[in-house]
Amino acid sequence: MKFFTSFRKKSPWILHYNAGSCNGCDIEILAALGPKFDLERFGVINTGNPKQSDIFLVTGPVTYRSRERLVELYSQIPEPKVVIAVGSCTTTGGVFRGMYNVEDGIDQYIPVDVYVPGCASTPQLIIDAIVKALEILENKSKEIEKPFKLFGSVETIGNKLSRLNMAKRVKHD
Amino acid sequence: MIWIWIAFAPILGGLVYGGERVLRARMQRRQGPPFLQPFYDMFKLLDKRTLIVHAPHALLAVAHFFALWFSVAAIFLGWNLLYIVFLHLFAQIVLILAGYSVRSAYSHLGANRELLMLVAYEPILILVAVGFYLVSGSFDIAQIVRGGGYLAQMPLLFIALLMIVPIKVKKSPFDVGEAHQEIVGGVEIEYSGMFYEFLYMARFLEYIFIYSFVFIFAGVSYALGAALVAGVFLLVNLVDNATARVHTMHMVKIIYAVAMSLAIANILWIVL
Amino acid sequence: MLLTLILLPIAAAFLILFSSKYIQYFLSVAVLASGSYYSILLFTSAENVSFYLSSFFNTVIIAADIVLLLYFLYQGKKYNSLKVIVLAAVQLLLFLYIEHVSAGHSAQVVVDGITKFTIEYDTSSGHSAEIAVDELSRFMFLIINIVGGIIVLYSVRYMEDETATPRKKQLFIAAMFLFLSVMNTLVCANSLMLFFFLFEMTTLASYLLIAFRNDEVSRTNALRALWMNQIGGVVILLGVLVAVLGFGTVMFDTLLQHSGGVLFLSVALLSMAALVKGASIPFDGWLLGAMVAPTPVSAMLHSATMVKIAPYLILKLAPALGATLLGGVLSITGGLVFVTASYLALSRFVFKEILGYSTVALLGLMMALAAIGTKESMMLAMVLMGFHALSKALLFLAAGVLEKQYHLKSIEEMSALVHRAPKTVGYILLGFVSLTLPPFGLFMGKLFAITSVASLLRERPLLLIVLVSMIIGSALLVLLYFKVSSALLSNPSDTLSAEEERIPYGFSLPLILLSVLIVGTGAGFIVIQHDALLALLALPLIFVFVLPWIMRGMERYDRTEPYHCGEKEPFDTALIYYEPTIRVKQMIYWSFTLLFAAVAVVGALS
Ligand code: SF4
Repeated sequence: MKFFTSFRKKSPWILHYNAGSCNGCDIEILAALGPKFDLERFGVINTGNPKQSDIFLVTGPVTYRSRERLVELYSQIPEPKVVIAVGSCTTTGGVFRGMYNVEDGIDQYIPVDVYVPGCASTPQLIIDAIVKALEILENKSKEIEKPFKLFGSVETIGNKLSRLNMAKRVKHD
Repeated sequence: MIWIWIAFAPILGGLVYGGERVLRARMQRRQGPPFLQPFYDMFKLLDKRTLIVHAPHALLAVAHFFALWFSVAAIFLGWNLLYIVFLHLFAQIVLILAGYSVRSAYSHLGANRELLMLVAYEPILILVAVGFYLVSGSFDIAQIVRGGGYLAQMPLLFIALLMIVPIKVKKSPFDVGEAHQEIVGGVEIEYSGMFYEFLYMARFLEYIFIYSFVFIFAGVSYALGAALVAGVFLLVNLVDNATARVHTMHMVKIIYAVAMSLAIANILWIVL
Repeated sequence: MLLTLILLPIAAAFLILFSSKYIQYFLSVAVLASGSYYSILLFTSAENVSFYLSSFFNTVIIAADIVLLLYFLYQGKKYNSLKVIVLAAVQLLLFLYIEHVSAGHSAQVVVDGITKFTIEYDTSSGHSAEIAVDELSRFMFLIINIVGGIIVLYSVRYMEDETATPRKKQLFIAAMFLFLSVMNTLVCANSLMLFFFLFEMTTLASYLLIAFRNDEVSRTNALRALWMNQIGGVVILLGVLVAVLGFGTVMFDTLLQHSGGVLFLSVALLSMAALVKGASIPFDGWLLGAMVAPTPVSAMLHSATMVKIAPYLILKLAPALGATLLGGVLSITGGLVFVTASYLALSRFVFKEILGYSTVALLGLMMALAAIGTKESMMLAMVLMGFHALSKALLFLAAGVLEKQYHLKSIEEMSALVHRAPKTVGYILLGFVSLTLPPFGLFMGKLFAITSVASLLRERPLLLIVLVSMIIGSALLVLLYFKVSSALLSNPSDTLSAEEERIPYGFSLPLILLSVLIVGTGAGFIVIQHDALLALLALPLIFVFVLPWIMRGMERYDRTEPYHCGEKEPFDTALIYYEPTIRVKQMIYWSFTLLFAAVAVVGALS
């Protein structure tokens, strides 16, 4: 409904996930949430729970260990949702680019709506990114959004998604 | 008139919750969210796609909300205080069953803690009710609010009640049930969208529920009641900002050792 | 009617020995139907019947008693248990001494020598009848015949899956029937000697039935049950002795008409027997050990009927207890047992033991209420007795289903049971909920109990202990039951399809009967309260009825997996136990032993 859609941007709840970052950007996010920058004045709550979140705030270049969880968490966030990649390493791999155990940015796996540069990025930038993300969020539809890639094979993605849909349920591994 | 109050109880609770968020922010020298933030959240939750784990789990949240609403309505209608405490128990058990009904570690931990919280505050609430009965001669709230002088007669019971207010509204040092940093909201964790909204509103009702108990202490004087509620509200938030969370078992021990003995001492004092 | 209640189960017990499976079912249904019919009839007829037993019967009973005690002596020798031997010998001596003493009074006591029962309505002549049916016994008939009958019906099916010879199975069911008739007689016994005999009969029944499986564990537990219950027998005999020496009577009602003198000592001794039979701490050991018996035994003897002798006895003695110090001590003991047993149950993991401990706890509560001795609290004790029998029977029978169909005993093994056995878990949950929550009867009983004790506080401040322990105990029981249900309930997401569960009819019929009874009597209890507000307490229950409807609507929401921090593999939480340290436990036992002794001391002093 149109009426409710206008409230999306008034109460963005955040899920923050660290996909192998150096913790630099995580601290900046916490700073943004803290009293000085006070993200809560936009109605932001750091829920720590995908099922109640709207904004997926990811830091880190996606290590091999974390990619499965990244996709799992992403798929557990109910639509509409936006993804913000915080920090250089999250957008492109940054200082970790080309390393043997990282995947050079989260957009290999899930669709990213806002990229935040900076190593580490600043609280101001993060706030800007959230404000930007809210615009995008308002225009999103409630269609199911699929992650792009999971270990490169389309079937596994299919399996992953199928459990979101009760009708075609597949018993996965 | 009373029915309008009952119908708007969740909204009233929402306003209290919104006010509390602002107050807490101001205490931390922040600007804080808008006053109406809880309602924005509610409307947004309606707009989200709803994912559920299984149907009974989701429905139990709805049941919890309505049972809680029912017990709040019972307060407004001036019913028997004991019945109200047990209706509230019913609502709480529904929530706990919901928490147990999914195979999720956090949900289970949360439900375990809810149970322990129940064990901690339930006896105090009943003892408060018994105190009211001994002083006013009736368990009915309608009867109780016609009397007065409860604060003078049962000051220790009031302190005992004060100690369990943080448990009910999930504030430090007794916010073990929710404990976002530890168990990610406990029983709330598996809910989303519409069904989470019911739990979110249930929290508003908890505010109304427990602050009504504070309000009743004023008896016939509504002004004193309002002052009491406001005072307790401020105090609870102050304590919330100033303390750290205690361990669940310590919470139970503190309540049993301190609040319980205060309550018993007070009742003995009334009786003898 | 009374005779039917007593004789019919005996007849059925004989017939069972020669009948095949189907006739067994038929017989048990017949006994259940006629038993409940007659007990309801008796209950509604509301007239107090009393019988005199002929001296022939009295002699038979004395002989049977001596044989019984000699059998205990023999068993004690056979299994080399000193306690059993000593206690049996003490009882034998006491018994003979009492017979010897009371023979002196026999001119008053023994009457007509006809070998038939003579029915007389209560006359206020010098002595009273050996068998007297009053309101309390009529109520007990209801519990015994309805709940007991259902359990016997269940045990027929239960025995099919047991590994034992057919003969032994038949004997088992026959014993259950016999037990019904023993209980029926016990609750209308007015003669203390008859009461003692039947008390010993129930001890015998629990001894034999606990030892039914005849392995090491059952043997030791059966012997423990035997000697602990014999303590009860000894104190009864002592009480009788005091009564005979002091007042020259062996009748309940004549005894209670007296006042002063050694009355309190006698009453105190008798109520100590109640504490033993009710497995109050420190005697809880025997009831827990009894849980190794086949489940129908646990249901019948150790929760629904036999242990109800404890509150029954206190209720019977309540007119003498009243507002006395002895009554106070007894009710405090009961209240403390309620809290402590609920607390001790929190550390148990065998399902039946948990049920056993909560039985101990609730029996404590009933005794506390009975010992308060006001009209209202006695009524509430009876109400609690009835509802407790129903709920506990349901829980035990469901536990039996789990044991036979799924081979589960410990709650540790029961995780996600709701996925495999949704119906059984439903029954268990109903049992738990009916023990703790509105609008069910047991909860209502507790609620009124709090009200009634609170109203007595001004006159008897000592009751504050009972009140507080009632409140805390109820909270602990909530913790206990729902902690246990946490193990049963955790259900994976709807994404896995659940299996169909089939409970055999022999099991499901008793379960359904009990559930219907629980809901029906609970509703009936609310209705007779004439309190409109109270009925509203049941409103949340409406939700249950619209549930299937809503369920269909739930199809349209998408399903997801629970949150596991993004992991694929689910992880479970362990169950939580709250265990007291050994020192605390010892302290608990010591203080309760002291309290037990205090009952006698208070009785002797007042
Ligand atoms: S962008 Fe730089 S500071 Fe931020 S997480 Fe990556 S490496 Fe660390």
